[in-house]
Amino acid sequence: MTTMTQDLPQVRGVKQIPVFEGFTSGHRTCQGCESALVMRLMIKAAGPRTIVVGSTGCMYVANTTYYSTPWVVPWMHTQLGSSGSAATGTAAGLASLMRKGKMQEEPINVIAFCGDGGGVDMGLSAISAALQHDEYNLLILCYDNESYANTDIQVSGSSPWGANSTFSPPGKVHRIMNRRWKKNTAPMLAAGHPDVRYIATACGSYGPDFTNKIRRALTIGGPTFIHSIDPCPKGWDYDPKYSHELGMLAVETGIWVQYEIVDGELILNGPSRAIARGIRPRKPVTEYLQRQGRFAHLTEEDLKFFQERIDESWEKWWVPGVVPFGPHDEDA
Amino acid sequence: MSTVAVEVVYRGIFQKTLARNIVRTIVFAARKEGKIGTAFGRYGDSPERNGIPAKQFAIVSDSPEELEENLAVYEAREVDVTINVDDTMCKGIESWAWYGLQPINALTKPGGTLIVTSRQEADALIEDIHQKDTAYNLAIVPASTSFSGLWVYKDDHTDVRILGALARVCPELVSLDSMLAALEDQGWGGLKLTSARNTHDRLSTRPVEPGEGSEDEPFSFDLPGWKSMEEGLVIRGVEEGTGFRGVAQGDGYDPINSVADGSHGGFEPTRSAVFKKFSTRSMRPVINFDTCIKCTLCWLQCPDTCFDVTPDGLYDANMEACCGCAVCEAVCPVADCITMVNESEFNDNNSQWEHWTQDKEGYHRWMADLIQVQKDKDATRSHGYHSPGTYEAESEVAMAGDDD
Repeated sequence: MTTMTQDLPQVRGVKQIPVFEGFTSGHRTCQGCESALVMRLMIKAAGPRTIVVGSTGCMYVANTTYYSTPWVVPWMHTQLGSSGSAATGTAAGLASLMRKGKMQEEPINVIAFCGDGGGVDMGLSAISAALQHDEYNLLILCYDNESYANTDIQVSGSSPWGANSTFSPPGKVHRIMNRRWKKNTAPMLAAGHPDVRYIATACGSYGPDFTNKIRRALTIGGPTFIHSIDPCPKGWDYDPKYSHELGMLAVETGIWVQYEIVDGELILNGPSRAIARGIRPRKPVTEYLQRQGRFAHLTEEDLKFFQERIDESWEKWWVPGVVPFGPHDEDA
Repeated sequence: MSTVAVEVVYRGIFQKTLARNIVRTIVFAARKEGKIGTAFGRYGDSPERNGIPAKQFAIVSDSPEELEENLAVYEAREVDVTINVDDTMCKGIESWAWYGLQPINALTKPGGTLIVTSRQEADALIEDIHQKDTAYNLAIVPASTSFSGLWVYKDDHTDVRILGALARVCPELVSLDSMLAALEDQGWGGLKLTSARNTHDRLSTRPVEPGEGSEDEPFSFDLPGWKSMEEGLVIRGVEEGTGFRGVAQGDGYDPINSVADGSHGGFEPTRSAVFKKFSTRSMRPVINFDTCIKCTLCWLQCPDTCFDVTPDGLYDANMEACCGCAVCEAVCPVADCITMVNESEFNDNNSQWEHWTQDKEGYHRWMADLIQVQKDKDATRSHGYHSPGTYEAESEVAMAGDDD
């Protein structure tokens, strides 16, 4: 049984974003915390009839310390790797209560969020399981600040190549200590769960696009997943006022690609679409990397390597910026 | 037998390395004199948040037993010297896990010293510092706030200058010679030693009398124990926002479709009754409501839900929620519509929009003065890495200033 979903209209431009706030003060995140903005925009789009479940991470620890909460909507903490299971359980519980008549029938949004540590590393299996249960309407939002930022910046599977962190400090002998390339999470989940109707990437710097993605995910039906890139002034080491700008630069340099996968079709959004169509050139990656202290140790050679990897993802990948593999020449 | 305790109050992450350099060197210097000590961060401040006030301590004793006795506490009950490395925290501090406002001199012993890095005069600082019923001393190390960074350390000598000052105000802790020897052990020679010695020699202190200072009541509330919490330790959510300034939302308000244009009487989110951001910010936005084009971007991009939507469709930064990140200034498309001004220029948290509606001319004079002060001081905040070479350039300027 698939329950109804709410009617959440798409917005056209910043002036149509709702005034409603479901995430207000009472949190003590860093100055310029983009993830706090993502929480706020998420609940603005979803509206008051929403249940939010949050796995461990900054958005749990900094938001809901002793006797304090910024949430207007019901919120509950769940364990680090269990955003997927908690989302399924919450949606199943609501469906069951409504079926038994213990609760009035009504579409209620269920959103579970996780950081990159909780989602891209630990919670991947639970998210995968949640995406297989297509009878439940839910959204899993992964807010990716590219490290375990809450516990003071340890490397995650989502940390970019070369980034300085507590686990990858550059040394005199080995300059590059994080030698892993960032995990390509959204396409992995899309390829692995073909019945999922909606998977997207997002960025809080693009407010209307972000709002529309949350609303599409909540209204399309079944389990959905959104991966957002959140500049983190603490771990990335930049002045907090550049949070918005760095989000845009991540997209404009082609390092972060904005897209939606709706019913098996890939739709690129905003600047990513313009880049793919050749309407707009990609900015050099140095414009993004050289504004962040975590990349301060990178040499010309390292920057060149980073640029080449990004060029390759746009020029050589089967689906530019999204899917790295394709059919073997003889099968194409 | 004696124990000397020093606390360093700093802005989380931005000044973490600076604070660590100070407390570690104190312990190294104490070893030179046969004493034993330890340096540590306050448990409740970890993990640190950008800009949120945090503390590190150095405790130095004559014997290991005495040191142990003084370490068996979460936070020292009193300290001989409080070091404040950002003068905007003279208004008080709230750690991210500690609720309510703690005056900056709360732990300073009777007769102890508060060292502040500041370009302000002592009297201006005392205006902000909460009064105490015992006397203490205030020493100022003339310097702009050093936001020295996390991965990239911006070395502007603030660490050694404070250590030089410390040897002067608290010679029973360590002598200047031991301090300089400890600095050399860490590979800091030449100019850094000169900076430490100069600050030591030129430091002046001003006695602060009991009752002198701000009379403001520090923000506080009752902290419930687990027995008085609700079943299941449920915490009540924040109430949904009503209309602007407590006036009920006008007819036709709908949380899914109503937008932030001031219709339905404006909108003001309900804010947490127990968590304010007064001491989180080192700057605050000053808004020119006359040049505002109502583009919504400051309101939309604020991570702290700080802007109230006024009935006339403007956006008023609410100082209960602003943490001074300056994203609003960065996204504002109008030149000079939003200007970040150093927090120490303000003595209240009043609404700018109300000021502007009541007295437009007066508001513009007030705003112009603040912006001019900010320009004169060239007090641009510089935490965070910008691009290669920025720190070196900034450090040169800071160091050149030291020789005055």
